[in-house]
Amino acid sequence: MLARLDRVTKRYGRTEGLRELSVEFPAGEVVGVLGLNGSGKTTLLKLLGGLLLPTAGHVTVFNGTPRGNRARSVYLGETDALYSWMTPAEAKRFMAGLYRDFRPERYEELLDAMEVPRRKTKTMSRGERGRLRLAMALAREARLYLLDEPLAGIDLLSREKILGSLVREWRPDATILLSTHEVAEAEGLFERVLLLRGGTLALDTRAETLRESGKSVVTAFREVLG
Amino acid sequence: MKGFATLLWLEYRRSRVWAAALLGSLAFWAWGLEQVTYAMPEEQLGIRAGFLCAAAITGLVALAFMIGRFRSETRQGQYQILLLTPPSGYFHILARFTFALTIGLAYAVAIAGLLWWATGRAGLHLTSLDTAQLLLVCPLYGVGIVMAPLLAWTLLLMVLSSAYRISGTAWIPGTVMVAATPFVLRFLGERLGDVLYRLPGWRLFTGLDAALARIGIERSSEATHAGIVLPQEPLWGMLALATVMLVLAGRIWQEVEA
Repeated sequence: MLARLDRVTKRYGRTEGLRELSVEFPAGEVVGVLGLNGSGKTTLLKLLGGLLLPTAGHVTVFNGTPRGNRARSVYLGETDALYSWMTPAEAKRFMAGLYRDFRPERYEELLDAMEVPRRKTKTMSRGERGRLRLAMALAREARLYLLDEPLAGIDLLSREKILGSLVREWRPDATILLSTHEVAEAEGLFERVLLLRGGTLALDTRAETLRESGKSVVTAFREVLG
Repeated sequence: MKGFATLLWLEYRRSRVWAAALLGSLAFWAWGLEQVTYAMPEEQLGIRAGFLCAAAITGLVALAFMIGRFRSETRQGQYQILLLTPPSGYFHILARFTFALTIGLAYAVAIAGLLWWATGRAGLHLTSLDTAQLLLVCPLYGVGIVMAPLLAWTLLLMVLSSAYRISGTAWIPGTVMVAATPFVLRFLGERLGDVLYRLPGWRLFTGLDAALARIGIERSSEATHAGIVLPQEPLWGMLALATVMLVLAGRIWQEVEA
């Protein structure tokens, strides 16, 4: 098992981000982490990425702690947080210097494929920065990718490029957890769907199972969370 | 090692404008020294020394601001990126500290160079050994007893504040640390005063008396030996304190949530 949450609760003061959530993630899945705003998607991904510590329960990644395995997992947050002075070349230096699994050649290919301009991020559009961040993330040969809203606030064409890259770059030994509100656009990617509601798991099912019953992920989303 | 070198590069890239501005400000201080021409040579020396003290304090404050810029990183999210990187918090803290201390040392050596120039203008010509001590030993000593603990304190304060951001209580540790600082400094001063010169001191500027005499300045009759003796204890004490604060800051970095 690549990652596991065992009765995990995360509280922010009096607010509960997650409540006694137990879920497992084996290798080689593309998982859609879906839910309304405040349902706990970001909390789940941050716990797996080691950015948050659980209030109760256990989070295990690669049979260790998420923080102890930061070098082996990729977390792409929803915050548009690159340094404004950074160029794609400097981002490459940053990533290559800190991550052993970073592949510079692959990064260059991704920049070309996603048409990321080679200039400072402060002069890039939000979509261009989003594509750059995704190129930085996907150029790593990790086994666990935690992608939190990589499509948020990004134009349609950029979203298509990002989704296209996710399809091209996925490896059978890697697991991708993708949180997005663009359910209809991304649903073709998902092999498994987690629907969160109020910090708990409302539905955990195979996308194939939904399709066999004549439902789309969007329909299930509406039925369960609507 | 590659990770630490990359963090140092990141520090350079983040702070190079600050560092360049700080080192560039030396041109202003040099220009200011050049303008002091209206008094007697020994008075000129005093005025210029005061001027350089102001330069040193300004540099310290600027460095503390440079190293403590966590707030914008936390707000804009870069802090989150740094927390996700494989190097431990100790390396992140050490990289920030090392870069700032290197800039600080360069600044201190330049200030000492300006002091050497000012003494020459006042007719006070030091021997080669005294000049070397002024340009190398004094900046190192000053950096060790003042700059290193100040920068470590700033890092600890900012990391502590960032660590408690989520609970919204960042002001508590911050206020406690700032309010307690004068008491801690007084306590440290008293303790260091108790142990001063237990270890043999470092004798510097043995040719200073003769150089002063040549321009008609006699040292106090209470002086029992030639030159100046620097005590070791403040240096070791402050370096130990800085190390403890850096370790604490690194440990807290490991526990930060984002």
